[in-house]
Amino acid sequence: MSTVDPTQQTEILNAGPPSGGFWSETWRNFRRRKLAMIALGFVIVLCLIALFAPVIVGTKPIVCKFKGRIYFPCMGYYVRSWENPVLRNARLPHHYPTRLKQLDPESWAIYPLVYQDPYWRVRADEWPGQPENPWGVRGAPNRWNWFGTDQQGFDVFAQMVHGTQIAMSVGFVSMSIAAVIGITIGALAGYFGGWIDMVLSRLIELVMCIPSLVLILALVAIMDNISNLHLMAVIGITSWTSIARLARAEFLKLKQMEFVTAARAIGASGPRIIFLHVLRNALAPVLVPITFGVAAAILIESGLSYLGFGASPPNPSWGTLLKMGRSAIEQMWWLIFFPGLAIFLTVLAYNLIGEGLQEATDPRLRQSAH
Amino acid sequence: MFNYLTRRVLLGLLTLLLITFVVYALIRHMPGTPLTLDQANMDPSKMLSPAEIERMNKQYGLDKPWYEAYFVWLSNVVRGDLGKSIPQNNRPVVRLILDRMPATLVLSVTSLVLTYLLSIPIGLWATVRSGTFAERSVSTILYMLYSLPAFVAALYLQLLFYSKLGWLPLFGMMSDNYETLSTAGRAWDIFQHALLPIVCFTYGSLAYYSRFIRANMQEVIRQDFIRTAKAKGVPGWSVIWHHAFRNTLIPLVTLIGLTLPSLLSGAVILEQIFAWPGMGRLFFEAIGQRDYDTVMGLVLMFSALTLLGQLLADVLYAVVDPRVSYQ
Repeated sequence: MSTVDPTQQTEILNAGPPSGGFWSETWRNFRRRKLAMIALGFVIVLCLIALFAPVIVGTKPIVCKFKGRIYFPCMGYYVRSWENPVLRNARLPHHYPTRLKQLDPESWAIYPLVYQDPYWRVRADEWPGQPENPWGVRGAPNRWNWFGTDQQGFDVFAQMVHGTQIAMSVGFVSMSIAAVIGITIGALAGYFGGWIDMVLSRLIELVMCIPSLVLILALVAIMDNISNLHLMAVIGITSWTSIARLARAEFLKLKQMEFVTAARAIGASGPRIIFLHVLRNALAPVLVPITFGVAAAILIESGLSYLGFGASPPNPSWGTLLKMGRSAIEQMWWLIFFPGLAIFLTVLAYNLIGEGLQEATDPRLRQSAH
Repeated sequence: MFNYLTRRVLLGLLTLLLITFVVYALIRHMPGTPLTLDQANMDPSKMLSPAEIERMNKQYGLDKPWYEAYFVWLSNVVRGDLGKSIPQNNRPVVRLILDRMPATLVLSVTSLVLTYLLSIPIGLWATVRSGTFAERSVSTILYMLYSLPAFVAALYLQLLFYSKLGWLPLFGMMSDNYETLSTAGRAWDIFQHALLPIVCFTYGSLAYYSRFIRANMQEVIRQDFIRTAKAKGVPGWSVIWHHAFRNTLIPLVTLIGLTLPSLLSGAVILEQIFAWPGMGRLFFEAIGQRDYDTVMGLVLMFSALTLLGQLLADVLYAVVDPRVSYQ
């Protein structure tokens, strides 16, 4: 028997970097992948664009002073009523740059970076020196309309920037719904096993086998007046199966570990073990199908908008632009090129993140990386 | 094995029963019936009177509550009758499906064959040349293709080959003057029309399969028996083909089973973009027209194929891997 000299022992312990928890380990592995990090940066930029869309492009001032008070008219892009009625009653919308000075010489305003609007066609003399938007085939990209205009003369760039909101929120909201359903069902099936597992597994199989388009189109048709939120809910409740399957497998594996037995031994309740002990360790692998699911949800949304079953018309969406582009494919290439590129890059970014996560959380790959 | 198969088939039938029940409930709850929706497209003078509608509802069994109607449908299916399509002048659903099947098969079979023919060499080449500049660029391109949504690709290709270059037709399966063409001319015509849809059907799975083969190969060539084979002087291509690739066949074979349903399901959005008269389009039209029997016929076919594909994958798994047995 050899004894280890205490100084040598501390040396061994200090040999590597201090090992962090599961999450910091995952993050460290993830950060090493350059492409995944670029993709993460891209998604963060997209989220910022979605969040600050009215600041980037719009016809309502970000902030203005009118008759001695400060207003934030651009909030009207988020919710219509957030644009103060005082401004609407003064007939300011559509005419902020000209009328604001007319009505109140003392007023001032800060405008978005680009003066264009996703909901109407900018006319001549709305903005000093900016010509009216061309429409139809003459609306090719130009100095004022970076990505061109559509059939009605609405600016494509404005529609795409504001359409980022739906693309991003569809991804996050629908996958949150899917994650909650999927993790709950997967956790119950995996943790309890037995007949509960049997029933829930049949349920998963059932939803997997129903063509998702039937499910989505039928649900969309049943609630006839569809809003973005409905759409997200429908996508969410039809795309949880892969999450549930993975969560089930993780729970099956983890429930046999010592820490679960230990938790049970000290008298922890079932829900406490499931959510506090097991879920925490199962979450990182489950994040992988969630990330891929976000990409799929964005695809489903643009596909549905393309088919004409998306969110109701005034809401700008990348898929709706593609649909308009398809009907004018011979002349208006810009209606297909830019939204198509946006969809492609977003899906690519989420796939890269998902892959990075997969490699960062896979123990087999993690060992080979060291 | 027999016991296993019987259990799987029985479970599959139960799942099938549940699926059709749920889908029937869903489509019967969509607003409108085949009669009222059809009417909306006709001119007002041909509108059916309420009495007429009631008579026809009775005739088609639409007056029954949906759960009763489901069991009527089910008992007909068990007797081999998939029903008739009301909006398509009462044509039998089986005929409708058979009419559309060739168009979808042209695309899916060609694309499946192309995928296997191309992805195996690409995957093996990527393994051998792993890490070189050429391999890395090809892999990157394949990864990008894998992320490129098929309907975006379809629109881009149409933009390039129809609007810009004018080389290929925009949509449909045959030209208007198809009837007047010679046999060779007809084949050429269909080929021109099918080229873009086939490309769109193929590139995604091509990228997926090549990556899949490469990933599996990478795992296998690290094993000891590969080192042994190299050490005893087996030529390089033989190591790759006979020793390594054979051992990656197992996951590949199971993948074949899982592609079975996609052979017939078509792709709704792609077929819509190319106006391709296949199953995906039939499905989309049938949902829009509230054509209950056609939707149910298609759903029954898709889900039966999906379940069958899963079963096939599991059975093939046992066939190619002697370590697996279902006792």
